[in-house]
Amino acid sequence: MKPIIELKNIYKSFDGKKVISNHLDLSIEEGSFTAIIGRSGEGKSVLLKQMIGLIKPDKGQVFIEGEDITQLSESEFDHIFEKCGYVFQFAALLDSLNVFENVGITALEAGEEPNKVRREVAKKLKMVGLSTDVISKYPSELSGGMRKRVGLARTLMRSPRILIYDEPTTGLDPISVRTTHELMKKTHDEIKGTTIVISHDPDIFNYADTVAMLHEGKIIYTGPAKNIWKEKNPFIYQFIRGLSEGPITLPSKEK
Amino acid sequence: MLGLVDSIGESTLSLFNELGKIALFVREMFISVYKKFIDTSKCFYHMNYIGVDSLTVIIITGLAVGSVLAWQSYIGLKRFEGTKFIGPIVFLSMVREFGPVLSAIMVAGRSGSAMTAEIGTMQISEQVDALRTLGIDVHRYLTVPRIIGTTLVMPLLSLFCSLCGIIGGYIIAVSVLHSNHEVFLQEIRKSVEIFDIFSGLIKSVAFGFLLSLIAVYKGYTTRGGARNVGISTTESVVTASLTILISDYILTSILSGA
Repeated sequence: MKPIIELKNIYKSFDGKKVISNHLDLSIEEGSFTAIIGRSGEGKSVLLKQMIGLIKPDKGQVFIEGEDITQLSESEFDHIFEKCGYVFQFAALLDSLNVFENVGITALEAGEEPNKVRREVAKKLKMVGLSTDVISKYPSELSGGMRKRVGLARTLMRSPRILIYDEPTTGLDPISVRTTHELMKKTHDEIKGTTIVISHDPDIFNYADTVAMLHEGKIIYTGPAKNIWKEKNPFIYQFIRGLSEGPITLPSKEK
Repeated sequence: MLGLVDSIGESTLSLFNELGKIALFVREMFISVYKKFIDTSKCFYHMNYIGVDSLTVIIITGLAVGSVLAWQSYIGLKRFEGTKFIGPIVFLSMVREFGPVLSAIMVAGRSGSAMTAEIGTMQISEQVDALRTLGIDVHRYLTVPRIIGTTLVMPLLSLFCSLCGIIGGYIIAVSVLHSNHEVFLQEIRKSVEIFDIFSGLIKSVAFGFLLSLIAVYKGYTTRGGARNVGISTTESVVTASLTILISDYILTSILSGA
């Protein structure tokens, strides 16, 4: 398998003080389902945003299908966002628009015929397990889980080949977590694309095929998800079992 | 002493840094408009929204200022037996100065703050990033229609504010101060030129552009959380009000020389 996304020697700090990515390297293979894990505040979301150009690294290169996106100006990102769909942590639906307008926003802004867009929106909502009853509802009228599904439906409208999820299961109950993971796997298989997800939930290992662990600004482990529970890497061992003792220092023990 | 120089130097650098960022922001907007023309329905939506939103406050401001102007002019002019000039003074003050300036400050406080808060909230809740990932030009969708809408609606609001001020002045002059209503109108006709109205309109267009540019810029550059949205909103109103007053002086100097 060839890499579809490559991060080379990425360095990113905020205000020149807090280092988020410290000469980080990561390669995502085409067609893979990669779960990125790591402690809260490690900069996983920043890493994902650097991957598709929403945040520019201070140093290093990001390649998407061989193209260095760090060289692109803000107005040259259209084709990158066509390839990569991003599902935000809290869905980031536009408050002032209803579900139809949110999901169909790209097509509506491009001037497509509203009835045609409505049919397409209904299809995508069905794909993420929502009925068309929600079509005229506003984000404030939806539950957290429904909002995330609408967010995914909106991303799928552009038929991306790379799907990136930023902590899609945050704040969801265990049943909704399982359903979300199943939905992600189903979508991954349907679009035959590449999936990258940040998750803290061990259930993700049942669906992902690769795991990458971020620690202190670096990817310290990459390996198959299947045997993760047998993994002897001390960081992985401690993290997936939620142990307080180990190489990962807890905030209260940090100097 | 060195501390003072340091602080002046730092403030100057920070001012030029901010001006540079605004210039880049304006450049990005022009590139967006150049690539594909703006959806005019969005501009009309914002014109309508800002116009209707600010109308009540504009009427009250105009009436109050016009009435006070008539009173104050009467007190001064009575000493020189020149009360027949109340009409021209109210008219010229409203059309050339108070109409454009006060309506712009009111719109900055009411609609400008709403623009900053809305775009700022969208920024911190990743809605702006979401638009980008969906291939939507953020400037064409969010910022430019608001700027065009405000710039186009400001002359109308300014004229309305001036008209309300003149009506307020007329009511006070005629019914409270017992001036002759014929003289009030006649003196206005005699002393007013079309350029007086025109200069007020030029000012209101400039104020509309500046206040909306500041409002959307402050919203767009908001980072962090809810507290920062509050800070940006306050900064937006204060900066826009000061900019309106400073640019009013500059425009008055230019237009007086014209």
